[in-house]
Amino acid sequence: MEDVQVVAMLVRRCIAGDAAAWEEIVQTYNRRIYNICYRFAGTSDDAQDLTQEVFIRMYRTLPSYDHSKGAFVTWVTTITRNLLVDHFRKTKQDRMTDSMDTAASDHEDAQPLSEQIPDQSAPPDARVRSREVSETVHAALAKISPELREAVILRDLQDMDYREIATVLKVPEGTVKSRINRGRAELARLLQRTYRQVM
Amino acid sequence: MPDHTSNGMQHNEFEQLLSDALDGTLTGTQLDRFQAHAQTCKACGPLLAEAEAGRNWLKGLTEVEPPAKLVANILASTTGVDTQRLRATAPVRQPRISWLEHVQASLLEPIWATVRQPRFAMSFGMAFFALSVGLTVAGVKPSDIRAIDLRPTAIRRTYYNAQARVVRYVDNARAVYELQAALRGIKRNLTPAEPGPKQKEHKNDTTQQPEQKQERNYSQTGEQLILASAPLGPSVFDSSNPDLPVVSVTTYRRLV
Repeated sequence: MEDVQVVAMLVRRCIAGDAAAWEEIVQTYNRRIYNICYRFAGTSDDAQDLTQEVFIRMYRTLPSYDHSKGAFVTWVTTITRNLLVDHFRKTKQDRMTDSMDTAASDHEDAQPLSEQIPDQSAPPDARVRSREVSETVHAALAKISPELREAVILRDLQDMDYREIATVLKVPEGTVKSRINRGRAELARLLQRTYRQVM
Repeated sequence: MPDHTSNGMQHNEFEQLLSDALDGTLTGTQLDRFQAHAQTCKACGPLLAEAEAGRNWLKGLTEVEPPAKLVANILASTTGVDTQRLRATAPVRQPRISWLEHVQASLLEPIWATVRQPRFAMSFGMAFFALSVGLTVAGVKPSDIRAIDLRPTAIRRTYYNAQARVVRYVDNARAVYELQAALRGIKRNLTPAEPGPKQKEHKNDTTQQPEQKQERNYSQTGEQLILASAPLGPSVFDSSNPDLPVVSVTTYRRLV
């Protein structure tokens, strides 16, 4: 994905005070970071703020990057993930976005997701194309637990390999795979339940 | 999930291979064992289907487009901070200002800033209104003010004229007062004496003692008028000149 030497040179220029190098880094990675933040936080406003904070933190800690320890994209993703976790703890969304099964059992008065998600007529096995379906999946993704969510986002949306994800999440690869499988299954159960109630 | 064995494969092993199977990297005997376990195990079979469905849902999500201002905001929040820091450390040359500007900045600006406050403006407005109303009531017109001659000779002449008017007024007033005093004296001499007040008769009073004491006390305070009489002319019973008519004049003097 990235040429290590090119990125290392870019980082050195940026540390030396080259504003153009920093702008190139921002142009290269803002889309990726914004998408991670958007899928994790759930809203565009939060994603904008978090992306901005990620780059501010990156700008301040850029001299600490060591290209021999890992790819720059992994380092950037680690910063993003850590900031998302901090944001998640500050906003205390972990209680609200706990596991789908436990959430349904703990809060009997809670509104079921099928009522929060608009009606859809597309079959569950069909490829998601329309914007409405994407929003439905996005809303369902925001309902699964953060540990599973971040794993499936990095794997299925950012196409990172298991080793990189393990580096970012600081857990073994087996745990990463387990979280990804559980996250996918939980998302599928949720969406199946939704469409079953709608249909 | 319990560590159950089915077709020579445990659930944990199946779950570990699940990701590789979905990625298409599982081959050979492992793939055969994996598929056999998925078909026979009631727990792992649905898990495979759900994980595959979930992956398909997620793969259908497309990338969202970041806001257009995002890059600009990021650059402003990062390099902008750095620019401000550089500006703060760099020495700033102060522009040279003249003494008039210095006085204006140090003296007039604070006063003008105070005057510009709404309460002071309102006070000045009320004072101007009151002054204009007072001048209008007094009959002063702006044309009169413009007609005033402010030359030194004119001012001196105005001063002497005003002084002469005051002196004439005082002299005239003195003559009037003297004339009034003379007329008052003549009138007093021609006016007959006023009769004294009659003594009140006391009703149903047997002793009279308290009334007499009260009159005595009033005369001592001086607030009660007491008329005294004394004969001025020759006595009625003058035996030396019996031809002269007998005229008796009695004058009453007010003792206060």
